Amino acid sequence: MLRYALRRVLWAIPTLLATSLVLFFVTTLAPDPARDTGDATIDEARRTRFVDLPRFVNTSPQDVASRASAAVKGVAAGAADEEKGARELRRLGGAALPYVLPLLEALPPEGRGRVAVALAPVASRMGIGGSTDLRQPQSAALFWSRFWDDRALDFTRTAVDRAVSRLVEHGTDLRETDMVSLDTYALPEVIRAMTATSDHVALERLTRIARHATERGTVVAEDSDATQVRRAVADWQEWWFVHATDYVELDGADRAIAVVTETRYGKWLRRAASGELGVSAIDGEPIADKLRERAPVTLLVCGLAMLLSWSLAVPLGALGAWWHGRAFDWVSSGVLFLLYATPTFTVAEILRRVAAGHAVGGGRVSLAVAALALGSMATLSRWQRAAMLDVVRQDFVRTARAKGLPAWRVAVVHALRNALMPTVTLAGLHLPVLLGGAFVVEEVFGLPGLGFETLRAIEAHDAAWLMAVILASAVAVTLGLVASDVAYGALDPRVREVLSRRQDGRPA
Amino acid sequence: MSDEQTPHEPSVVLELSRRKGTSAVRDSIVGAQRVAAPYVTMTRIALARLGRDRMARAGALVLACLALVAVFADLLASDRPIACRWHGVVYVLPDVTHPAALAGVDAAVMRRDRSPGDWVLSPLVAHGPTEMGVESDAMLPPLSPGHPMGTDGLGRDLFARVVHGTRTALGLGLAASLVLVAIGVALGGLAGFAGGVVDSLVSRAVESLTAIPTLVLVLVVGALVPHATTATLLWTIALTRWTELARLVRAEVLRGLSEDYATAARALGASPARVLLRHVMPNAIGPALVAAAFGVASVVLLEAAVDFLRVGSPDTMASWGESMGEARASMGAWWLIVFPGVALLATLVSLNLVGEAARDALDPKLRGVSSDLGGGAGG
Repeated sequence: MLRYALRRVLWAIPTLLATSLVLFFVTTLAPDPARDTGDATIDEARRTRFVDLPRFVNTSPQDVASRASAAVKGVAAGAADEEKGARELRRLGGAALPYVLPLLEALPPEGRGRVAVALAPVASRMGIGGSTDLRQPQSAALFWSRFWDDRALDFTRTAVDRAVSRLVEHGTDLRETDMVSLDTYALPEVIRAMTATSDHVALERLTRIARHATERGTVVAEDSDATQVRRAVADWQEWWFVHATDYVELDGADRAIAVVTETRYGKWLRRAASGELGVSAIDGEPIADKLRERAPVTLLVCGLAMLLSWSLAVPLGALGAWWHGRAFDWVSSGVLFLLYATPTFTVAEILRRVAAGHAVGGGRVSLAVAALALGSMATLSRWQRAAMLDVVRQDFVRTARAKGLPAWRVAVVHALRNALMPTVTLAGLHLPVLLGGAFVVEEVFGLPGLGFETLRAIEAHDAAWLMAVILASAVAVTLGLVASDVAYGALDPRVREVLSRRQDGRPA
Repeated sequence: MSDEQTPHEPSVVLELSRRKGTSAVRDSIVGAQRVAAPYVTMTRIALARLGRDRMARAGALVLACLALVAVFADLLASDRPIACRWHGVVYVLPDVTHPAALAGVDAAVMRRDRSPGDWVLSPLVAHGPTEMGVESDAMLPPLSPGHPMGTDGLGRDLFARVVHGTRTALGLGLAASLVLVAIGVALGGLAGFAGGVVDSLVSRAVESLTAIPTLVLVLVVGALVPHATTATLLWTIALTRWTELARLVRAEVLRGLSEDYATAARALGASPARVLLRHVMPNAIGPALVAAAFGVASVVLLEAAVDFLRVGSPDTMASWGESMGEARASMGAWWLIVFPGVALLATLVSLNLVGEAARDALDPKLRGVSSDLGGGAGG
């Protein structure tokens, strides 16, 4: 039994991967703003959606080294590329220095001067340079080559790591200034430290350093409340997830892995798997937090509706089949057929009108549950009736009756027990329908669940939320299907055999 | 049960075919049919059973009426005339023929610049589905002058919306079903026939698509795609809902391939492709068509639900769901729920009735088992 359950769970992995491919395809449907317009805000928008990356294989993943040398080349060549390259150098900042400064010597004097001047904003951000005139090509070039001779040792990962952990433990203004002088080079450790600590004072220093180096983002104030802190840290994480390769070098194994991970699908899958789904475009709240906040409402409505529909559908369907052809069967079948054909939103809308004004708070929830349950009750009870009809015509039921057992005992113990099984499997297939229905009733009754939020996200074009919600539903349904399969296997040993046969490549 | 009665045993037909060459079989069968023995096929038996089902007949009748409404929607409700005489020349169906003389002439111009002797033959209701009313036209109740079913919040005529909504619903349902049946039959057949890697791939695709709630997917795709149209909706539905059908066809093909008639065909030297296409697939087509009927129902339902939720999107197509969604804003406007709701319900009930009757007709063992009303109607 355990082997069967394990096998079924393992089976879900290729399915989930296939689902991820489908959903990834859906994300690619969203329009690409534009290509290479040179407009910084559009480029940024494209990057946050990873549109600048190839879809599945990245043969030449970009990192700080390649970006820096490209920018240096641009600036050194002058002309059209100079301004773009200078902007890039300013953005890359301190992290690019270990790659830019050694290149300086090899450049012709004129290009060297231009690059050195382009680095002036970085120097002022780092608080260095002092009296030297960095706008003067010759003195700037001299300054930077001296700087690198003096400070190269500070630009190592171990040194930064030690400095950051000292800052977190005993923050002083002097240590903060030291970190600022490393500029973006310190970012990997600073961002990592943000998630590791919950100390507001340390967080204030860390976010201030990050903001200073990147000229963006929010700084945690010492008196901010928990939500503000959470949002600010999530925002930094999100930003780092998109921009990490601007500030770290990919070498050896990292470069090999980046061929797969530095792609649109790779980024998307990593997000999906880690549950870090970005931040909402509506209010900047982390999507994961929002999901956690909204999902219980939807799950409650779905769960209650399922409970209600099962407890009504099983007896209704079973009785209809037991009294096949009699008045009860006719009436219940007719009514259930009508309910089956009636869309959930119609039922919900009618219920809302009938109960107009009376429904507040819990009342709305029960109305929503009722609207959702009516539809799925009709479907389930039709299945139940069909399964029961199949069973009551079998010999063992006739035998049970013939040996004089009371009718209720035959119906419940002999027939219903066997007739429940097909309904259990079909119930798994009913999950997607139930979830879709929950979206509808939430909207009609104004319950703040996933569906309600999704429709607001559609109005606001919040792509991050939309992708998250469809991913969450797909994962939830897959898990539900696995659970119903495992339950079925536990009830019926024959099913386990069928699955094993399918495993051997034989048809089920 | 009278259904199983066949005037002549199929063995008569077999006997005939054995005596003559293959090319002569058809003639002899046709001849025999004219004289005495009807050529009995499964299709014919199923159709005969279907014809005897009263509920199926009622459903088909309703569907036929709805189809007529959809086809002739422009004759029932439109702001363009059916025929008119304009400056002494008679134009029939100017909306279809687009005569040059009437270019730029709309209803208002026609009323104003009419020359003596001109006339206009208007449709039943002289309003189009997307024609906005003036301010005072908003939310007129039914039986208002010129608006038999009243108007919605934008002053659009509800009768026109319902009539043209039929076209949207049935058109979309049929088109999406055609595509999804094509995909489902092709992939399901291929998976059952080829087995191995192909089967695994198709099965994974089926499983993964099944796990995505279609309503949510349609909503999300509609929001992500720029300028989403009805075509977007069609393709989203068609490309994700073929899974059920593929699963069904795959099972039918696997069953068919393992049956004696397939073995016999193979023994006679038929190629695998011929066994599949000539012998096995025809048996799988029936269930596929039944599934298609339910497919139309589910597409109609989905379209209505999506438009109900997405009210206010700049979608100019008339849609029952959209009209019903408009009613959410105003509790008093019952007509916005009732008229489109009845049309929607009639469509869904009829499609389900016909689908279930067709399923029972193809497999009489299921009679009374899967059809809820079958027990009452057929007995």
